[in-house]
Amino acid sequence: MNNEEPIIQMRKVCKRFGKIRALDEVDLEIYQGRIVGLLGANGAGKSTLLRHIIGLYLEDEGECVTFGCEAQNLGPAELVRIGYVHQEGELLDWMTVRQLVRYVSTYYPNWNRELEEKYVEDFGISTKVRVGSLSPGQRQRLAILLAIGFEPELLILDEPAAALDPVARAQFLDLLLQIIQTENRTIIISSHILSDVEKVIDHAVIMKEGRILLDTGFDELRERFSQVRISALSKELPDELPFENVVHCKRSDGQAILTVQDCPREKLQEQAKSLDCWVEIETLSLEEIYKIVVSS
Amino acid sequence: MSVLTVNLKHLYQRRGLWLFYVILVLFALAGIAVLFEDAKAGQGRFIGLIVLAFVVGLLLPVLQIEVLSKPFSYCLPGHKRMVRKFVFCVGIVFNIFGSLLFFVYPDLNAGQLLLVVCSAFFAGLISYLLGAGLVFTARNSVAFIGFLPLIIVAGGFFDLHTVLERVIIENPLVVISVGILTGCVVWFWLGDEGRARRYCNNVPWVGFDWNPARMKKIIRIRMAGKWDKLNKYPSPRMERFFLGRMNRCDYVSAGRYIWGALYAAAVVPVLQWKSILSIVILMSFFLGYMGPAATFIFFFMPIIVVMNMRLPVHSSMMISGGRKERFAGTITAVAIAAVPISAVAVAMVALSMLFRAIVPEFTLREVTFTYRAISAGNLFIPLLIIPFAFAIRLIFYRKPIYVISLLMFVIYLMVFTGIVWHEQFSDMINLISIIALMILGWGSFLLVLRYVCMRRSLAGDG
Repeated sequence: MNNEEPIIQMRKVCKRFGKIRALDEVDLEIYQGRIVGLLGANGAGKSTLLRHIIGLYLEDEGECVTFGCEAQNLGPAELVRIGYVHQEGELLDWMTVRQLVRYVSTYYPNWNRELEEKYVEDFGISTKVRVGSLSPGQRQRLAILLAIGFEPELLILDEPAAALDPVARAQFLDLLLQIIQTENRTIIISSHILSDVEKVIDHAVIMKEGRILLDTGFDELRERFSQVRISALSKELPDELPFENVVHCKRSDGQAILTVQDCPREKLQEQAKSLDCWVEIETLSLEEIYKIVVSS
Repeated sequence: MSVLTVNLKHLYQRRGLWLFYVILVLFALAGIAVLFEDAKAGQGRFIGLIVLAFVVGLLLPVLQIEVLSKPFSYCLPGHKRMVRKFVFCVGIVFNIFGSLLFFVYPDLNAGQLLLVVCSAFFAGLISYLLGAGLVFTARNSVAFIGFLPLIIVAGGFFDLHTVLERVIIENPLVVISVGILTGCVVWFWLGDEGRARRYCNNVPWVGFDWNPARMKKIIRIRMAGKWDKLNKYPSPRMERFFLGRMNRCDYVSAGRYIWGALYAAAVVPVLQWKSILSIVILMSFFLGYMGPAATFIFFFMPIIVVMNMRLPVHSSMMISGGRKERFAGTITAVAIAAVPISAVAVAMVALSMLFRAIVPEFTLREVTFTYRAISAGNLFIPLLIIPFAFAIRLIFYRKPIYVISLLMFVIYLMVFTGIVWHEQFSDMINLISIIALMILGWGSFLLVLRYVCMRRSLAGDG
């Protein structure tokens, strides 16, 4: 357990949209300095949860506290510490990029001009064009720039890379890695592109149908799931393999691939010794882990 | 279920169309009532069918453009030719029912009636296909509906309705032949497979799409190439002024957000002052000839502004303002809307008084047109409508169709009440009652805004 106070605390938060239960008794604590991956299918409740954190949505039941303040009462003093990027965010189309950056920066006392210039150059954004003339990818880069230009303590990224092409996505990941190096910066990133997310996160929250299925450190999560590849050396594989907590098994022609949950690597190696086989133990990718968690 | 049936289901699945159906039915019932009450020949009363067929042709085939724009529909077998089946299916069914009205046409024997009904069917079909043709050639065909009242008035003025009716009655074989020919030409024209390629993956504006997120996306895509052509940027002085004012306020004070909202809301109208002034002058000129009907513009002008305005309360552009700052910013934006609308209303009244002295009276086809100054009594209408319209928009911000329907209903109710009980109400309308109504309207708006800002979810897309 972390001894510090969490910067975000959600207790039994429920939210309905008509008959749809978008959040169902969500309990979540996020501590400073964490890079949290918020994972889930479309409609799992990720965006709804993020909007509760910044006070855009009000919970029907429960409580959501951000930076020690009830989310619905967040004011400029707290919001200048939060950067938020989401898909298709609204921008003032009639302004030029430069004018919009100046306009938004006026709301933030700690806007970093050097950082702004650096990102403008890195992202290849022309500051003289109208915001309304930008392509969706360029708009998204601009939205990211506006959210990080004031070096927020808490950065909330809701599908930030959805509109970006592969090159821009790679640039964005590099940028994220740079941001992460800043001490005590907390980032919550919701994305479908799990291969990108797993490069940066140290904590994973998996959601399904408005509920949090799993909330754990990423290293712990990776240790919980292993893939065991078994190949028979001389004879056929035994009908029953001596492994516990197998969640998935695929066998073919003297080979088997097992997915094992909550079984330490040492124990797996010990169990494998009893087989006259070649055994290889691998950790699973986030995408594979996600599929197992969601399907179970 | 056939592909055609699936496409026809869009006619009721698209809820935005329901409002159109209600209006269509109301007009159709009014037309039918007139015919059954007093079906006189040669007065053009039967031509309502042709007008309605044109409107239906302008609206319903648009659904096919939306279907064509979906890449999956391009790949569906046999779907590329579905457009013409849909267009003709709707047109034929509508005009069969419409042409039946001609059975009540007076002074014709059974044989003539049958021929006239066929003639009316094909006349309606031509009109419908003309509308459908515009859908597939013009960029935004739905906008033509805006010109319809003008066409109807002009048509009535030049007796086009009686001419058309006479053609249908006296030359049925010609109308039937032209109808068949038009049908064949349009059938082959709509069968062009290149059309599916042209629309594939485009984002069409279908005119009765009320999904706010989709509308925003469509407007953004449509405007993408146009912003730079406008070539109007806020001047550095203007930018310096507003940002300077913002910087004078403390970071946590509402003043910064009020100046920010002022900057975001005021600059675009200021940049477009020349266009606004041209419209005001033109409107003042024409409205003077419209007599009491000029009052309508004072109802509709605020609604158009209210529907198109960006309100900070539901803005998804994240700045450091919380709910209280959104409240302050929204009040500023609404005030910014109310001031220029009132200024435009005052300018129109003043200009009309000026025009009255210089614009001549003229006679056309034995009708004398006299220019009359717009009544200054109209000036209070925008100030009554604006808070009411904003309150409705705040309550139903996820359902723009409710906002439009409700506002239209209230306006028609007010106008209708004003016409029917004019004498009873005229005694009640005085300065005190108007001020009381304004206080009530603006007070209610502030209460609704306060409630929305503090107690409702503020993000757009759920």
